[in-house]
Amino acid sequence: MTADTLHLHIDRADGSLQRLIGLVERRGFHIDGLSLSEDGSGRRVEMAVRGRDAARCTQTLGRQIDKLFGVTRMPVPSHSAAFVPERVA
Amino acid sequence: MTAAAAMTIAPDAAAPRSGARLLISTLERLGVEVVFGYPGGAIMPVYDALTGSSLRHILVRHEQAAAFAADAYARRSGRVGVCLATSGPGATNLITGIANAMMDSIPVVCITGNVPQGVMGTDAFQEIDILGVTLPIVKHSILVRDQADVPAAIEEAFHIAASGRPGPVLVDLPKDVQVGTTTQDFGFPYPNAVATTDHDAIGRAAEAIRRAERPLIYVGGGVKIGRAVEELRAFAEATGIPSVSTLNALGTIPTDAPGALGMLGMHGTRGANEAVQEADLLIVFGARFDDRATGKLAEFAPQARVVHFDIDASEIGKLRRTEVAVAGELPAGIAALTDHLTPTPLKIDPWMMRCTARAARTAFRYDAPGDGVYAPALLKAISEAAGDDFVAACDVGQHQMWAAQHCRFARPEAHLTSGGLGAMGFGLPAGIGAKLADPDATVVVVAGDGGFMMNIQELATLRRYGIPVKVLLLDNSSLGLVRQWQELFFEQNYSEVDLSDNPDFVKVAEAFGVEAFRISRREEVQAGIARLLAADGPCLAHVIIDPRENVWPLVPPGKNNAEMMEGA
Repeated sequence: MTADTLHLHIDRADGSLQRLIGLVERRGFHIDGLSLSEDGSGRRVEMAVRGRDAARCTQTLGRQIDKLFGVTRMPVPSHSAAFVPERVA
Repeated sequence: MTAAAAMTIAPDAAAPRSGARLLISTLERLGVEVVFGYPGGAIMPVYDALTGSSLRHILVRHEQAAAFAADAYARRSGRVGVCLATSGPGATNLITGIANAMMDSIPVVCITGNVPQGVMGTDAFQEIDILGVTLPIVKHSILVRDQADVPAAIEEAFHIAASGRPGPVLVDLPKDVQVGTTTQDFGFPYPNAVATTDHDAIGRAAEAIRRAERPLIYVGGGVKIGRAVEELRAFAEATGIPSVSTLNALGTIPTDAPGALGMLGMHGTRGANEAVQEADLLIVFGARFDDRATGKLAEFAPQARVVHFDIDASEIGKLRRTEVAVAGELPAGIAALTDHLTPTPLKIDPWMMRCTARAARTAFRYDAPGDGVYAPALLKAISEAAGDDFVAACDVGQHQMWAAQHCRFARPEAHLTSGGLGAMGFGLPAGIGAKLADPDATVVVVAGDGGFMMNIQELATLRRYGIPVKVLLLDNSSLGLVRQWQELFFEQNYSEVDLSDNPDFVKVAEAFGVEAFRISRREEVQAGIARLLAADGPCLAHVIIDPRENVWPLVPPGKNNAEMMEGA
């Protein structure tokens, strides 16, 4: 199973990074890579994720991440294999 | 008021106030009337500030009960429930209640004290990283680092708890934040998000419904939470489409309404489960395809396409492929769908007749042999005797399933149950929360002897405040649902389910100062119900039932919903 890369922005509030990592793992994904860097208003995160089984859907994971407060999915660089936020309906 | 007096008040209003006082003022400003809690060292400044406020504090006897009561208060009132606890064990005792609110999408704000920031991370007395501990079971959490941020944090917590798909929010207040002073006043009001309705998707949903020969409405708890009950009832009535309900949605469409086939799933009705298996279109409103509802997912509604309306886009397509997805506010979405469909009646009469005839043919019977109390009949009778004001605050176990199957629910707020988490001990504190939210309701706690013992100390809360909750304690001297599974699936190896050494519950209740009596035989049931409902104050009916009684039907684990087992 291939990994997807998430491009995210998170704020500096207590627990933000923990909240993100916990959600990804709880929802059935391995974290294969993680980088964190500071930017002016918070932190940028690149996270490579891989489902634990074929039933795990990165689109659903993306929507679950969208529900976190202080975490934003970022536009994906064109060379990346990451999924992008999509309209559900 | 004179101008001089006004001038003397103005400087006072801007005088420094502690974080604790700001917290109380903010809660008052948000319209909070009742909070449930238990004091302790790290939340003492808040309790000090509570004195003289307009808030009514209900002192429970265990923090778990505070969280459950706040949860039920929110379910019944439609407002945000609030609970308070101290750091360490006080905070960790909230956890089951927080998880319960998370699983059932209930807006609760949990406020915990914590040790001063200067000693955080040093294993100080009663220090727990409650923000970290609760991360998986909250919608959001906030550690307030500065007293000036208290109003904004509380307002944010209320906004997040109640908006979109509701859920619990934890606010952790270190003690130095509670005692530190600031001239900061209230935060800024949060704008309500403008709901949008995807009319294109709704048009496609209407098309799918019009093409279907066997459409079925699948109602979830999100309809009640999303305040779309009237819209859903209008949709069902206008289209004539039959409906099934999840545990948490019972009463959304009145359980005795035409076309209401009852609960689907593990202990659902045959009429509901077989309709689901035959349907060619499921119209899902505010449900999440919980495994207790679907049984074996791969074989759930095998002939059906799915139209799914939900406020939470992440639930759409999570477990079941969806043909038409409508993410957004339910009231507007359902109303628009009804508008699309009402001009021309659907041609589904044969399907509707098939569903209702089967439901009538397979309806529950209440003529059980013997002269012992038959719990399903008792529950049906008490719900009918209490009428439209009936509210059942259920614990977890066989009695919970019997209540779901047999009680009449005229409105969704009438059925309070720990649906997602299945937390034993919910019933009694939930009854307290519900009665305080709706003093005119006839609140009946439906409990078993196992779960009742998990929060039995709350009889003291009933007594202290004279809360006229009625407790219907169905005692089979065992952990009945576990015993049933051991009988059916573990070769009758009854491991650790015997509770025949229960205390005398009548004496226990009386020791707490609560009126109590016993019902042992079927002939005592009607008089017992009348006495319980007529009691002025809190009252407990201890009902002896047959330990061998099982909940039927039952979809065995790993089976599809058509493979129901029935009892003898």
